[in-house]
Amino acid sequence: MKTRFDRRNFIKISSAAGGSLILGMLLPTACKEPEAVATCSFQPHPILKIDNTGKITVYVARQEIGQGVNTSIPMIVAEELDADWKNIAVEIAAYGTMQPGDHDTGGSQSVLLDYEKLRKAGATAKAMLVNAAAAKWKTTATACATEASMVTNSNSKETIAYSELVCDAAKLAVPKDVTLKSPKNYTLIGKATKKSNIKDILTGKAIYGIDVKVPGMVYAVIERCPVLKGKLVKFDDSACKQVGGFIQCVTVASSAAPMHLHAGVAVIANNIWSALQARKVLKVEWDEGTENTDSTEALFTRFAAKSTGKPTYEVFKKGNAPAAQKAATNKIDVTYTAPFLAHGTMEPMNFIAAVTKDSCELWGGLQLPDWATNTIAEDLGIKKEKVKTNLTLMGGGFGRRLHFDYALEAARIAKQIDKPVKLIWDRTDDIRNDTYRPANLHRMQAAWDADGKLQAWQHHHVATSIAIMTDGPEAKNVPEMLGGASSDLWYDVPNVHTGYSHVDFNLQRGWVRAVEICVNTLPVECLIDEIATAQQKEPLAFRLSLLENRPAYETEITKFRQDPNRIANVLKLAAEKIGWSEPRKPNHFMGIAGHHFTFAKAYGAHAIEIELIAPKKFRIVRIVAAVDCGIVINPDGLKNQMEGGTVFALSQALMSEINVENNRVVEDSFFNYKIMHFNEMPPLEIHYVESQEDPGGIGEVGLPTVAPALCNALAAAGSRPRTLPIKKEGFEWV
Amino acid sequence: MPQYKLTVNNKEFTANADAEMPLLWVLRDLLDLTGTKYGCGVASCGACTVLVDDVPVRSCQLQVQNCGSAKITTIEGLSEDGTHPIQQAWEKVSVPQCGYCQAGQIMNVAGLLKKYKQPTEEQINEMMAGNLCRCGTYTRIREAIHSVIEEVNK
Ligand code: FES
Ligand code: FES
Repeated sequence: MKTRFDRRNFIKISSAAGGSLILGMLLPTACKEPEAVATCSFQPHPILKIDNTGKITVYVARQEIGQGVNTSIPMIVAEELDADWKNIAVEIAAYGTMQPGDHDTGGSQSVLLDYEKLRKAGATAKAMLVNAAAAKWKTTATACATEASMVTNSNSKETIAYSELVCDAAKLAVPKDVTLKSPKNYTLIGKATKKSNIKDILTGKAIYGIDVKVPGMVYAVIERCPVLKGKLVKFDDSACKQVGGFIQCVTVASSAAPMHLHAGVAVIANNIWSALQARKVLKVEWDEGTENTDSTEALFTRFAAKSTGKPTYEVFKKGNAPAAQKAATNKIDVTYTAPFLAHGTMEPMNFIAAVTKDSCELWGGLQLPDWATNTIAEDLGIKKEKVKTNLTLMGGGFGRRLHFDYALEAARIAKQIDKPVKLIWDRTDDIRNDTYRPANLHRMQAAWDADGKLQAWQHHHVATSIAIMTDGPEAKNVPEMLGGASSDLWYDVPNVHTGYSHVDFNLQRGWVRAVEICVNTLPVECLIDEIATAQQKEPLAFRLSLLENRPAYETEITKFRQDPNRIANVLKLAAEKIGWSEPRKPNHFMGIAGHHFTFAKAYGAHAIEIELIAPKKFRIVRIVAAVDCGIVINPDGLKNQMEGGTVFALSQALMSEINVENNRVVEDSFFNYKIMHFNEMPPLEIHYVESQEDPGGIGEVGLPTVAPALCNALAAAGSRPRTLPIKKEGFEWV
Repeated sequence: MPQYKLTVNNKEFTANADAEMPLLWVLRDLLDLTGTKYGCGVASCGACTVLVDDVPVRSCQLQVQNCGSAKITTIEGLSEDGTHPIQQAWEKVSVPQCGYCQAGQIMNVAGLLKKYKQPTEEQINEMMAGNLCRCGTYTRIREAIHSVIEEVNK
């Protein structure tokens, strides 16, 4: 497989594509589409079509996975177009109508990458409508004003609707330069706006991948080898034939990078229930190889052994941290760990494929449809142009659908039968065959002088690498070190040394919402708290003393602009809103943590108040989150994402873990893969900084500081957890 | 294959299905009512919740042979046009993220309000505890429940 995906590279490549796309593609295509012949329409850009009925369609290229791009993206277009929001219709942009990379959805990048492009598209359409109005009125464009899908002649006060200008505007030249609004004049951006498809969701009309039906379709489930690199010896489907609706079984070959498929036998039936019933009676013999006795417990022992040595990959070096550590008298040396995690999207993996000798059609949810389409074409030996991909809504992404193992499986099954096939994973398949967030361990060392000034900081991150999983053993960019574990460590320390070591494990790994930022921010934000405590300093004030006087800079390796003052600001905002400096009730304790989510250009903090009920037994009284992600497009969407991110991270801090025994995942449902339930949810508030900086991303920013803020609160209460989920250290919450 | 007559959203349907096929798959695959969602099939998530004679039931656990003449209500039948007070409250509070769990949440609240006119916080917690939302919309679900309770008791 030639196509490689690297989270960091993806972001850079996508940025470049995003910035250069716009005007080169602006071609008026008025009245060209068949449905537009009768009525008149004007499509000055692939993402935007205006009909003379007044309907303005925005085709959203980024995938909607619950993060709200189907609202924020049209809002940006509508803002510059001065369109009435009521006229906006939102559609999923058909795959193939955009440039490569335009559909990719991950890393909280959608708004951040597309902001300029979307504004220009809206502004260009508006300029053409204004020029059409000016020609009609024999006046100049500057004498025209726009608002709510109308142009007004500032002199005569005449008005005309956009819909009436559509046919004329389509004939005009596309302006090369358009003036964008000053953010100060935004009227829609910054206004809380409901999800564009909220009515469909609330009435059951929204169609997710799992709801799609294709004529002649059959259904499949797969019995997979429980061990990733196992092989199929033989299977016997004679009992399946007794199940009504059963059609046949076919094998699914295993595969290595980029998508690791377990060897499997697909059970095909004319309905999903029959397929599930037939699978129960299918007999399969597997060759599990020699790698079938490993466990997560053994893995953590290997992690610990590795952590005391030198990192395999040196990541960031400033000064001489090991020497400074050795020479110091005040020092700390601690270890933090966190487990494998599953995504657990509410809509389990599923996909539809129809394959003929030389063509293929796909239906379903994909966060990176280019990667999936190209790889599947190659796998089937079919020309890329002969693969038609149909994208759908997704019942949750969280990075799970960046991977497309489920789509590849569907394609491999469909290749063997002459009907479209819908593959569905049941919840056990979903939890046992995930692309797991890597298990990880961090050895953290720091030292300070007699005045309490930090002198040395060392961070050795030991984990099971994602890059080695998706790119194969020859992977470049193996270390997963964003989140304060590289040159982006936000605290000012003269001697810093960070590194990464990979320890192999036979389990598929992948990106789970905020992956490496979460993984690294926990030890960074806990260690700084431990140092403050050791120095008997107030932990918030201690952080601020290291952040507030540090000017913004470009991080050395990763080349992100980082402003420690913006971290200080969100910390202060969270502290103020939770009442950090007010007297605390007896047995109430607080913890805080802040961070820079580098590639989302966002800064986030959480403050958590707990009540200690007994040693290691507590209640979460309140959680306050503060975020600064530049200009906020949709405050309602931002709050929803920060709430959701906080809940996702609370699950990770308190209860979620994937364990492996005999190389098999132990957990198999939401009964044992625990996530937050409604009744466990503590009160939560979200606050954000009003800012004029360009917008950043938000989908992942609510996660990284939850676990460290909670651990810091528990430490303040007398006992510091260093292992997630904290229940592993005997903590109990009510 | 046996034939079953079902009353769903005040309409009569006929389904040819295996006696043990769960109502969930009958609704989704045979009757084309895909608003009811599959999340786990083992009663661990609540995504498949429908009302059976006004009681919220996990449709993945109810076999079609046991539906009898019960009145089944799914999200598609809660109101004609999305104007049921629960749907309106959900819209006002802007609850959904991905939206996948919300049909189950809403139908469960419909059952909650059939059982209690003015449920207490404990009753709300007890009834909602089994409806998972991986997107984490719990704070808003609670707010919307309070809003609808206020609305219907006005
Ligand atoms: S699908 Fe029925 S409870 Fe999960
Ligand atoms: S809104 Fe996505 S699972 Fe609830």
